[in-house]
Amino acid sequence: MLSLSADMTKTDVNLQMINGDSSATAGGLEYALELMVFAESLARRDEAALTTAREALASAAGSAVLVDAAAVAGNFQRMVRIADAAGIPLDERNIIATIDIREQLDLQRFGSAANSRSTTLSDRLKAVFMKPLMKFVMRRIDRKANTGNH
Amino acid sequence: MSAFSYEHSPYPVRQDLQQVYRDYWSMLSHPGNWWSGTERVAIANEVRQATSCEYCAQRKQALSPYNFAGQHTHAGELDELTVDAVHRIITDQARITQDWVDSLEQTGMRPEKYVELLGIAVTVFSIDEFNRGLGLTPEPLPPAHPGEPNHYRPAQAIRGTGFVPMLPTQGATGQEADLWGDHTANVLRALSVVPDAVRGWFMVAAGQYLDMAGMMQFSGDHGRAINRMQMELVAGRVSAINECFY
Repeated sequence: MLSLSADMTKTDVNLQMINGDSSATAGGLEYALELMVFAESLARRDEAALTTAREALASAAGSAVLVDAAAVAGNFQRMVRIADAAGIPLDERNIIATIDIREQLDLQRFGSAANSRSTTLSDRLKAVFMKPLMKFVMRRIDRKANTGNH
Repeated sequence: MSAFSYEHSPYPVRQDLQQVYRDYWSMLSHPGNWWSGTERVAIANEVRQATSCEYCAQRKQALSPYNFAGQHTHAGELDELTVDAVHRIITDQARITQDWVDSLEQTGMRPEKYVELLGIAVTVFSIDEFNRGLGLTPEPLPPAHPGEPNHYRPAQAIRGTGFVPMLPTQGATGQEADLWGDHTANVLRALSVVPDAVRGWFMVAAGQYLDMAGMMQFSGDHGRAINRMQMELVAGRVSAINECFY
């Protein structure tokens, strides 16, 4: 989703932020380092680090940003547990759409990858042809959503 | 003072977020499809024991979490099987397996009960985690309303995806027509054998993150202080630390 959103807004982001690479936060995303560290300390349950990260984020970006970041972090503490505890596999269309991102981030290292089928040569071939089409479709969906919300 | 007023929070909390938390607390306190109100609130209370359970902390480090003897720190309100299910979901969800979920059924917890328990545990946890993110203590749990669960199960639920029965992608029909449109993603289907569990987390997700329409909007204004990319950075980092492939 970060990749998709960056693509839609033509923003330069380095996805290695997801894996905690601080140097990857130096790009077009405002408060990226503070947000990354806050999310990390919350999910790791490191209370001392969380206190420091909370203060750093609030100080740099303000209370409203901190509150919305805490809300999103809480939301995904739930979502990961729903996905893993119900054992859901990656949706078929996402297997093709996310091949490169999963490889860039080495997501296969996670145990819950076993709940999804492996990527095949056929998936890779389909991805070559389908990615431009998918990008086009997602742009249309985004445009429609933006029109509908204004 | 009403629940979730955040009067003593150093950080102002959006009114809409306060309201969805209140609405979820009300939902939590009433009988569900498979658990009574008292049991539902007890499951919520057990979520809070799990985060400080020494046995869970040790088991998390064990190579095999299914052959590690010990005793949970628990509130004493639920049976051993239920306590273990709540603690495992909260502290070691990435190593939950089909065999373990099947073993619950063999020992008396049918999949619908597991799914409702899962919905309660993770939604309460997400609200507690929001408070923890702001440096606040968890909200006191609501008093339970009397009554019995109604044992409702949507007829169209099937097995075949994941560890539990769920509605087919195109199965949001009849009484479940409000859940999603013509088709949906697996993560939205995951709890759908207990439709109210889905409704509960959708409601909280709309406040904490985005509603369904907002999720399909990848740019522009979402009415939040952070933009979609910033949301997804937080989401992605939390998911990576939890080792979630999905």
